[in-house]
Parts: sequence; structure tokens; C-alpha cells
Amino acid sequence: MALARLRIGVVGAGPVAEKYHLGAIRGVPEVLAEYIVDVDGQRAEKFATRNGFRRYGVSHQELIGAVDMAIVALPNHLHAPVSIDLLSQGIHVLCEKPMARTPAECQTMIDAAERSGVFLAIGHNRRFRDHLRLVKNLYDRGYIGEISEIQAEEGSAADWQRSAAYFDPQRSGGGSLMDVGIHAIDLIRWIAGEFQEVQYTGDHTPTVVESEAEMSFRMENGATGKVIASRSRELAQRLLIRGTQGFMEAGLWSDMLRVRSERGKASRHFQHLEAYVSHRPPADSSFVDQLLNLVRAIRGQEPLAVDGKAGMGAVDVVCRAYGHKPAAATAPSLEPLASSS
Amino acid sequence: MSSSPTPAGIPPPSAPQVAVVSAAGNLSAAVYREAKALNPNIFPHSLPARVLIKPNLCDLVAWENGVTTDPAWLAILASELRSIRPDVQIAVIESDAIGAYKTYRSCDETYERLGYTDAARNAGVKLINLSRAPSFDIRVPELPLAVTIPEIFLQEFFFVSVANLKVHPYERMTGILKNSLGLLPAADISHYHPYLATVISALHRLCPPDLCIIDGRIGLEGKGPIQGDPVRTNTIIFSNDALAADLTACRLMTIAPQTVPHLRQTLKHLARGYHEFAIAGELRPRKFTFDQQQLHPEILAKFHNRRLHRELEIFTNRWISRFFRFKQQPIAFLSGAIPKLTRRVYGSR
Repeated sequence: MALARLRIGVVGAGPVAEKYHLGAIRGVPEVLAEYIVDVDGQRAEKFATRNGFRRYGVSHQELIGAVDMAIVALPNHLHAPVSIDLLSQGIHVLCEKPMARTPAECQTMIDAAERSGVFLAIGHNRRFRDHLRLVKNLYDRGYIGEISEIQAEEGSAADWQRSAAYFDPQRSGGGSLMDVGIHAIDLIRWIAGEFQEVQYTGDHTPTVVESEAEMSFRMENGATGKVIASRSRELAQRLLIRGTQGFMEAGLWSDMLRVRSERGKASRHFQHLEAYVSHRPPADSSFVDQLLNLVRAIRGQEPLAVDGKAGMGAVDVVCRAYGHKPAAATAPSLEPLASSS
Repeated sequence: MSSSPTPAGIPPPSAPQVAVVSAAGNLSAAVYREAKALNPNIFPHSLPARVLIKPNLCDLVAWENGVTTDPAWLAILASELRSIRPDVQIAVIESDAIGAYKTYRSCDETYERLGYTDAARNAGVKLINLSRAPSFDIRVPELPLAVTIPEIFLQEFFFVSVANLKVHPYERMTGILKNSLGLLPAADISHYHPYLATVISALHRLCPPDLCIIDGRIGLEGKGPIQGDPVRTNTIIFSNDALAADLTACRLMTIAPQTVPHLRQTLKHLARGYHEFAIAGELRPRKFTFDQQQLHPEILAKFHNRRLHRELEIFTNRWISRFFRFKQQPIAFLSGAIPKLTRRVYGSR
């Protein structure tokens, strides 16, 4: 018997939803574009009309009872309250990264999902990129031996127009490290394990988040490294992992992968292999695969790849880098739903 | 002909060397042992945990026609290799393909219908379809296309290539090096044809065989490598080096190796000469005929033409994309392009 299509709602009709999640919804026929909500009703209407959503509205509360799953693509301070509301009402949630501003907020989201018995997925879409999956596979198979050093850098001056919430420390929870660097932090945790010590330097002020961030770290496995994130300059957009028997250098934006090992048949004659995944439209299918994973997890067909604990782990590293003291889990308050990202 | 022989007259084990034995009719372990007696250095003395065997299964044609590899090799190789390391894991590798007698053939069907499933079961050997195994794309210098290779290449294994002795319209002959094309997981590899020599040479460097066997008991002349005529040479070539095995096969078929593009290119890549190996045993050359309708120079000229068009297309498309990206968003384009150019000129940041 064919499984019923899952009705999906999107909270936030901003650039993130339009640029990334819309393509994913179109690329997963198992979901039905049902509802789009945004505080700006006109924007929601325009989004729905243009993109084939059956209904639109101005509050995420409207999704309750109307959808089976939702994508939360809002400014960071709204991730927790909106997700908790939806999760509590039995709606599966795919929440954009960073999961929330603090580990305490993340924990309340996880608790809400567990109480309702629904899935909470976090939008660390890079884990679904084929060349980065290959990095993980090769490392797990011992292709480069034990990791000794990791370097990640990602940054660009050219970007979309962002809302004021992005620059406000209270609402965003952090600057380039929280927004951009968290991708690399999540990948490093996924591939190499837990961070042990972290040290942060950045150009933040008490009222404005940093645009330049550098985080030095030591992993539990002894590896050391650095994550550089910027919103003001062009960086190499790469992840370099050195091991005791080789290295892997992966593109964070491109699907480039350069690998070298002392082991393996292919290493006898090649200095390194330039491995990559060919461009096919859409060039980056990670958002499609991310949504499909959640759909399949809901249907019991495969495990959820990036759950709340993974999302919280990355937020925890960033907060430790910023020097936040661990706080007891408190229920986040739902401020008026601001204009989405 | 030989390269720095040892005092005993046998070259050191690492040097390329060849043993030629006579064999007719059904295969037996005796030919393997005869070759081993001629030159033991060709054969392994120790083995890693895994051995992979690559036969030539280019189409659904029985081995007696000279097109594919005799499945009897599995039992012989399994027995000989297990005498060196009893716990060695042995597997046969091959991919799906587009053939002449059946447009698309699954490798699993080929294993079944050519007797490999039974032979593997009897010999305790695993069969692997590389088209269903994990793979990834790599960039190869001088090639404008990605090459998809199996992940298995990144592992350690002892690689045995068992090829046939055949003529080929584009490459003049097919032996051990050309047999490696079956390692590409894609069934249709025709888009590589204008770059065949480059792809074969790259595959040789990615996955060089440790033991090469060219079973020339029945070769193929005329319309090779599939629809040709079987020809008995009653010869089997053993070598520890793919180039040495193929160069010996060229002598056997009286083909000038300089006219074989992939041999020329691989020798150039590895900076080796045409005669840097030693042969033990007697080689009885026999002239292989070519199908006159498949004109080698004409095909090569067409491939040059396709390569030229492809390169022109890539070059012009790249500049068309840049032009339109610049026209659409000049500042965004320049803010991306200038640091990239700077990195290219001055190195990484």
C-alpha cells in the first residue's frame, strides 16, 4: 500500500526558505507543500502563490492540526520557542542551524520532541553532501590513520541581506562562529568526535556580534586545530584533516575532495587523488537529502541523521568558545514572531 | 632486453619480468607451476589479507571463442594463493557493461551465464559487482571528464589481472592494461573512448596488477575485441608487471607496441622503455590479422576531432559563464574572482 504524502509547513518565508528549503520540498515527492507562515502576511501570500503552497498565514500556531511536519527557518532566537510549540503538538520539525542560542534551549527542544514522540531534525545539511560523506567513510575505514590536525575556514563578504536579528547578540546568540563556523564544527564533531578544549578570538562588541572569529581547539582524541569563520572576507571554504597516514582536504562550498594516504593501491603512483562529485542540477542536493532523511525517519525507513543531540553538541562547542557558563535548562519565552531571516 | 640481472641470472623480484609457457586444451595447475619453475620471482611469496582477481568478461561469449576469460582460472588461482596464505580472502571483480551481443548486461548475469558463479562457489571465492559497490569520482590530469572509480582502490590488496590476447580497433591490442577498463563501475564507458589511452594509463597507476596472466591459448584476431575470430596460440604469459605482459603480448601478435596508444602513454607516464623486462620461456610469434573495415588511423583521427571539440566547448563555456555572471552581478562576481585569482597567483592566502 502506498504511504500517504506528508503535509509540510514552512515557518519563515525568508531567503533561507526560498533559496534552500523550497528546492528541497520540490525534490521530495513524498511531501506536500501545504502551509507557509511568516509575520509578514504579504510575503507569506506571495511565497504561497508563487511556489504552490496551498495555504498561508502569519503565525506558526496555524500549522497545528494542518501539517505533519514543519521546517523552521527563522532568526536564531525563535528556533527554540517555535520548534517547541510545534513539537508539543505532535508535528515533526526540521529546524535550521544553529539549533538554538544555548545548550539549555536545545535541551528543552529535545525534551519537547521526546515527550511528544516526534522527530526533531537539525539543518546541518553539509552532512548530506556526498564528498563530505566520503570523507567520513574514508576516515572511519582508517584511510588516513588517526587524526592529528584539523583546519576549517569559511567566509565570504558577498551574502544575502540579513535581518537585524543576525547582528544582535541577544537574538542571534553569536556572530560568524555561530552562524557560519557551526557548519564546520558540526562536521568536525561528526567526523572526528568531541571537542575537549576550545579557545575563541573575535571582533565582537557588547552590542554587535563578531564578523571575524577564530576558534582553536583540542579534540578528545588529541587532535588539535582551528576553525576560522568570517562574514567580511573571502576565505578558502575548506576543511583540511591531517592524519598519521595521510590527509583529506574537502571543499565546504565546492564538492572538491583531495585525498592522500600512505596506504591503498591507488596511492602507489598518485601523489593525491582529486576526488569530487560531479555537478548535476541542483548542484547541491544536500537539502533534498536532508528532508528525505526526515521523511524516511518518520516512516520508519531509516534512522534520523542529524538529531537534536547532534545540533546541541555543535551549539555547546560554540557557547564554550564564547565562554558561556552552562545554565540550567529553562523554557525559552516566545517573543513576538519577528520577521524571518 | 633484461634489466640488471642478479648473479644467479634471474632479475631481482621487483624488476619487470615475464614467463611464457605453452598450453593447449583445458587449463590445469601445471601451467601455473611450470611458469613458477621458469621464474619464481614473478609469483608472490607472501600475501595481504585480500586478493582481487579481474578476469576479462567484456560480453556474454564463452571463453572458447577467445573473448572472455576461462572460469577455470579461479580454482587454480585460489588453490595456489591459499598455499601461500590459507586464510586469504579471494574475490573476483567486474562491472556491468554495454556489449556487442547484448546491449546492456549486468555483471551478475555475466557471472551466472559464463560459469563464474559455479566456479566461484567451488573455489570458495566471492564475486563482486563493482557497479553496485561504493565508488566516487576523481579528476585525472589531461582528462576533461571525471573518472568514477571504486572505493576499493583505496584499500590494500593483491591484484591479479587475467586477460585475453585480442586485437582492438582503437588500441590495436587488448591485454592486461586494457582489462582494467572493467574496473570502471559505469556500464557505458563510451564517453571515455576518445581518451582511452589516458584513462587506461590512469587506471594502471590507480590499480596496478601484482600478478598478470594473459591467457593466449585462444586469442582473437580480425574484428576484436568481441566479434573476432578465435586463433590458437597455445601460449600463456605470466608477469609481475602489466606493461611487460602487454609488451610481450605485442611481440606474440607481431604488433609494434609504438602503435598501441595506451602502451605508449603509460610507458611515458612511468618513464619506462619498451624493452625493460626479461622473458623466460619460448615465445612463438604469430601475426594477428585486423578487420580491414575498422581502420585504426581513421578512428584515432575521429577521436582527436572529438577531443578538440570537447576542449573548445569547455573553454568557451567557461568564459560564457563568467561573462554572464559578471554581467548579472558584477560586484559579487569580482569579490569572488579577485581573491581566487590572488590565491592562484600568490598561493593559498
